[in-house]
Amino acid sequence: MLTKRALALSACWLLTLAQFALAQPGPAAAQGSKYHEAPALADEVKAGKLPPVEQRLPEQPLVVPVTEKIGQYGGVWRRAFLGPADANNYVRVVYDGLFRFSPNGADIEPKLALGATSSPDFKVWTILLRKGSRWSDGAPFTADDIVFWYKDVLLNKDLTPSVPTWIRNADGTAAKVEKVDDTTVRFTYDRPATLFLQEIANQDGPDQSYAMFLPAHYLKQFHPAYTPMADLDRQAQAVSFKSWTQLFAAKATPTSNPDRPTMAAWMPVTRVSDPVFTLRRNPYYIGVDSAGNQLPYIDEVRFTYFADQQALNLAAIAGDFDMQARHIQMTNYPVLKDQEKNGKYRVLIWPTFGGSDAVVAFNLTYMADPVLGKLLATKEFRIALSYAINRDEIKESVFLGLGEARQAVPAPWHPYFPGKEWAQKYTEFKPDEANKMLDALGLDKRNAQGVRLMANGQPLTVEINVVPAFGAWPDVGQLVARDWQAVGVNAVVQIRERALGFSMRASNQLQTEVWNEDTTAFPFTGGSKLDPRNAPGQTLTLGPLFYKWLTTNGKEGVEPTEPLKRIMQLIDTARSVGHDGQVAAAQELFRIWADNVFEIGTVGLTPMVQGVVVVNTKMHNVPTTIGNDWPLRTPGNARTEQFFFTQ
Amino acid sequence: MTRYIVQRLLLLPFLLLVYSFVIFAIIHAPPGDFLTSYVATLSATGTSITADQINALRHEYGLDQPFIIQYFYWVRDMLHGDFGLSLEYQRPNADLIREQLGMTVTLAAFAFVLTWLIAVPVGIYSATHQRSVLDHVFTVINYVGVATPNFMLALILMWIAFAYFGISITGLFSPAYADAPWSIARVVDLLEHIWLPAVVLGIAGTARLTRIMRANLLDELNKPYVVTARAKGMREWRLVLRYPVRLALNPLVSTIGWYLPQLFSGSLIVATVMNLPNIGPLLLRALVNQDMYLAGGILLIYSFLTIVGTLLSDIALVMMDPRIRMET
Repeated sequence: MLTKRALALSACWLLTLAQFALAQPGPAAAQGSKYHEAPALADEVKAGKLPPVEQRLPEQPLVVPVTEKIGQYGGVWRRAFLGPADANNYVRVVYDGLFRFSPNGADIEPKLALGATSSPDFKVWTILLRKGSRWSDGAPFTADDIVFWYKDVLLNKDLTPSVPTWIRNADGTAAKVEKVDDTTVRFTYDRPATLFLQEIANQDGPDQSYAMFLPAHYLKQFHPAYTPMADLDRQAQAVSFKSWTQLFAAKATPTSNPDRPTMAAWMPVTRVSDPVFTLRRNPYYIGVDSAGNQLPYIDEVRFTYFADQQALNLAAIAGDFDMQARHIQMTNYPVLKDQEKNGKYRVLIWPTFGGSDAVVAFNLTYMADPVLGKLLATKEFRIALSYAINRDEIKESVFLGLGEARQAVPAPWHPYFPGKEWAQKYTEFKPDEANKMLDALGLDKRNAQGVRLMANGQPLTVEINVVPAFGAWPDVGQLVARDWQAVGVNAVVQIRERALGFSMRASNQLQTEVWNEDTTAFPFTGGSKLDPRNAPGQTLTLGPLFYKWLTTNGKEGVEPTEPLKRIMQLIDTARSVGHDGQVAAAQELFRIWADNVFEIGTVGLTPMVQGVVVVNTKMHNVPTTIGNDWPLRTPGNARTEQFFFTQ
Repeated sequence: MTRYIVQRLLLLPFLLLVYSFVIFAIIHAPPGDFLTSYVATLSATGTSITADQINALRHEYGLDQPFIIQYFYWVRDMLHGDFGLSLEYQRPNADLIREQLGMTVTLAAFAFVLTWLIAVPVGIYSATHQRSVLDHVFTVINYVGVATPNFMLALILMWIAFAYFGISITGLFSPAYADAPWSIARVVDLLEHIWLPAVVLGIAGTARLTRIMRANLLDELNKPYVVTARAKGMREWRLVLRYPVRLALNPLVSTIGWYLPQLFSGSLIVATVMNLPNIGPLLLRALVNQDMYLAGGILLIYSFLTIVGTLLSDIALVMMDPRIRMET
């Protein structure tokens, strides 16, 4: 399995250019009348409410491979969500993008788009759409819908105050996007954009943002370029919005507006702010299986609102959901496994996509106590503390024996994996070595309680900040603290509420903190935790003052150290070189990362983050192994439209 | 009396203004704002959002303005009847509160009726049959009822229902009816589900009320007027119900006004634990996520109802008990 994955991964970049060719008509596509549809839709066609299926599908539909077998129509997929802030639950289920990541996360495949080609220098990208594809209201989906997004949303200063990185030129302006014909859009950068496909595979409207294709025919009525401002103001005020931009955002987000046409397999019929958020099959969905059955198989997706994660977990244990990993806590794995015998559901394990599921990250720019700050920034100090940790114990008692001890580097099957010696660097349990190294750092004097004294004579006290975002972290913090105390470092665990923890991080008040490193498969795109240029209020960081230095052009803050500068250089390089160059850059990056132990990895490759999956025994085509990560929109990359129920 | 009521009513806007400031200040007190919480929520589910996006949103929502300016806008809009926009739901707060109101009041009314229907007769029985076997049984049950936090009771009942009957009793509807339009079948479904939360919510109140009723009635039963009436041959039940019970109800009536905010509040913790669709979880979420205009709106309505409820209690007492006079 692993070797197969590795092969697929290395092949992925060769495929990129060939994708257009690969996406040419599937077996059933050529013979139009061979398509089949859900019984409910067939009834509507008979009643004259809907055009026949071959007219609803594009000339070249997306042929979706099935995981096990051709499915049958019908059923309601029961899920749960935690309210409007959980809109990404929908994003993950539908994964409504022009392109999407493949199930193993190695490849990028065309979805709504037919394919893409790039110029040899990667500066010009051409996206081809499927001729005859339609929005859920039957209106044609064309290049104009991408141009509308570009011209009226991305370039509109009120809607998009600053150009997102992925579509930026080297000089900070937006790359040029133009319509070539109805099904062809050209993107022109002034720099090589080698990560283009990875980026657009995630421009599907996550975090209630704008997707890179919008239903222009519908949204023009909410945009001042097409509708008088007075009208918009009146409409905005009627629903308590202060400006037209808020109105536009609400109307353009599928989860908050069921009237907005969508391209996804299921379209919302209620709102994410309702007690039950319901999606119903999109009669115009562009996908079919190899037998010509229009997808999705499942009629409806119903998300039931839970105010509390514990109540949600109880309902999951009772078998109230048909397929759900989100919000299921890993600590409930044994209970779920035990209930499996009742025959209602099976439990799958989808380990995280590399990295480490609990790291102790150091603040390299801690200033409140300069003596301690200097220690935290010292590599040998961090190595000693890494050696002091008994990872086997953490693995057994916190992670239920799942996963492995490792530093925060990619998984072994990923091309960015820097090698076993780096994944395991400094992860051995060597308290004697740790003591020796700490003594050598001039911390050899101890007080009566056995706590080492710093250069200024103060006892060495290190605070470990824990935000209990994932159930097990406070326990990790306690175990690490005990191990550190054993080598004479007085570690104190502070458990803090999320928002407080985040704002303390942003204001440089944290010394060390427990979080996870889950961005190792995507070091160059999205909000990577490896890039010091990502804001400390947003993600885990090595030094808030580095960020300040970088954002104020060196006027304030602290200049990043050489290894960090090299990391930023590597990230920039990767954005403009081909696949091999990216692999080389990533491997070097992770060698630096592991060698400097900016964050101490404990245990990784566990199912901690949405990796314990409860699946109804009657639900099929759900893969047993899969790349599981947010950029992959798991379970969206499992191609949810081909999930089905047997009676 | 009229003058007293008018005085109290005139004080109301001033009190609300003070409350609104305190509420807004407290909601503002924790570090960070709605967007800090939003970012933290996203990263807890494996997502991250760019600093640019956050800053744009912060400006859009006016969260980058000083506290006092935000407060001023909030109060100004409320004076125009606009409760503002929920930052999390992106919908008007007034709509959100209105949607939850029906179910909240229904549930609370059920609990309230249940409480009184049980507490008053049991209290009377316990007092008139002091130290009987049943009185002791009721007493034990009452103490347990008062001492058990109701969310704990909810958890225990949920566990029993799951472990022994294999059902999960969260929510007020079966999945099939959760978003169905109102119909006879849906009402029946609601009735099938509502009794358990109503019992959980009512049980502590019932226990407390029973004890108060019993104690009050015991005080009255030994008074000379009761002895006199009995000596004159009045039938026992008629006597008890007509005179001592009426007096014993006074302290209960004086607390009836407190039910007004409670009716509206939807018992935060129980509702959250049992996943009941009412205002409790809405407020809890709004507070946790620092969705400040929503939280502020709900809390201000609580304050309003508390003030009005106290006033109503006072008025009810005057009407029930002719011995009470208003000092003006």
